[in-house]
Amino acid sequence: MLTISDFSNNILSNINMHLQENENLIILGSNGAGKSTLAKVLCGIINSHSIEVFKYKLHTLHAKKRAELINYIPPKLEVFDEHISLMEYLELSTLYSNISVNEVLSLLCLDDLKDKSCKTLSSGEQQLTMLASSMLHNAKITIFDEPTANLDPQKTLNVYNILKSDKIKNRIIITHDLSLAYKLGYKILYMEDGKIAFFDESRKFFEKSNLDDFFGSSLKRIDDFFMVNL
Amino acid sequence: MKYMFITISLLLLAVAPFFGQMEISLSKINNITSIDYKLFWDLRIPRVITAFFTGALLGLSGLIFQSLFRNPMSTPFTLGVASGATLGTAFAIVFGFISFVALFGFLGALLTIIILFALTSKLKTYETSSLLLVGIALSFFYSASLMILFYLSDETQSYEIIRFTMGSLDVVGLTHTIPVVVASILLLFMSLGYKKEIKLLLTSYDNAFLKGIEVQKTNTVLLISVSIAIGVAVSITGPIGFVGLIIPHILRIIYKKSADKLLIQTFFYSGIFLVFCDLISRKLGTASDVPIGVITSFLGGPFFIYLLIRKRK
Repeated sequence: MLTISDFSNNILSNINMHLQENENLIILGSNGAGKSTLAKVLCGIINSHSIEVFKYKLHTLHAKKRAELINYIPPKLEVFDEHISLMEYLELSTLYSNISVNEVLSLLCLDDLKDKSCKTLSSGEQQLTMLASSMLHNAKITIFDEPTANLDPQKTLNVYNILKSDKIKNRIIITHDLSLAYKLGYKILYMEDGKIAFFDESRKFFEKSNLDDFFGSSLKRIDDFFMVNL
Repeated sequence: MKYMFITISLLLLAVAPFFGQMEISLSKINNITSIDYKLFWDLRIPRVITAFFTGALLGLSGLIFQSLFRNPMSTPFTLGVASGATLGTAFAIVFGFISFVALFGFLGALLTIIILFALTSKLKTYETSSLLLVGIALSFFYSASLMILFYLSDETQSYEIIRFTMGSLDVVGLTHTIPVVVASILLLFMSLGYKKEIKLLLTSYDNAFLKGIEVQKTNTVLLISVSIAIGVAVSITGPIGFVGLIIPHILRIIYKKSADKLLIQTFFYSGIFLVFCDLISRKLGTASDVPIGVITSFLGGPFFIYLLIRKRK
């Protein structure tokens, strides 16, 4: 479904990865390890000749076709014009989905904000706006860059339920939240200094010896939850 | 009320030709032998139409440039296209091609566009800001070249060049009016056709890219079309300042909408503004008309500052 072969730039080195049909992925790694850079390469924002998506070379695809296949949701909502409202932003994002903007708005409890300028939304509200846009865009593969950062527990739960629902087709999720990664149970890619340090089943990643290697004593496991050992 | 600007435009276009230094009586404009007939159909009508469509073209160009460059200081003249037209015109004046002034102006503009995009395609990364910088550098180069032409010209020629740089709506007959009308209407329809692309570019370039827009291609197509339209207008009327800078800003403050929703409004209100300014310049009662560029800046500047202050409150 998605392949990156022998990609290197000034941040990433020698990246090879292949995802099977209908395989979802979690990308983990410390700050500055190159997770977002990898995401931008995968979706084509950083131009390369190394990506193959659904048997097409990404850089040869027509822009519309590319948008149908892959989408990237950045960690922060970027809107230049102060007069673009949440509603307008979502209308712009509506591409390949059958659900309406209004349905998505009520699903994420954003109805009251729909006429507000995107620039005046709080960071949590922006996060939800982008999740809403990903549902309306409905690309075959969506890469989420830290979709649950900035959210309160209630909203995190709401987002979690949407992320694992069929409202999103195939997903690649970048996160620091190990509990989330564990619950979702997708294949895991762990990055370190621009290299892939681990790429295998979730079960193997969460083995104690492996976790000790990557996180040392900074991580504490309680049942199925992983927290920072303060 | 939503389309009030269309009503105002039509009213103004109907009334404006009757104002000027000489009174025109309504009863005589259909009498072919009268002076009123000539004055009305050969001078006033072309002038008012030129004013309206030049204003509309400049305002719309300004709005598109400000959106694409994401720079509120951008004007239709920022890329140096107008300076190119001015240089072409000055060349024609100094070297005796007086009857082809407008053609030389347009060639100057066209040449600038070619140089501009040839240079930027040499740059490794494509960014509108680098295009902006190349344009500004080019403008300075043109100013220097214009100075050289000044030294080569005699007194009358210098005056003609200076008069051109201040902008003028003196047109006789429709030969010069038609290109402006065609260019401005084409630009309006084209920008309406690119509405969605413009709006996506106003979110972020990455977002526009992800939503399936060829960002670089779209930018280039829009910039070149706007530049050509500006070339047409400037080669005929000279660089009339301020309309393209200020009308888009004023409408953004009043309507509180993004650029893609202000295309039609900007078109009409910029046209209205220039016709209005032209009326004032003709009614001041001075020996010769005050250059239109002077009036636009004189009226627009203070009004804009007033709006900015009001916005802060």
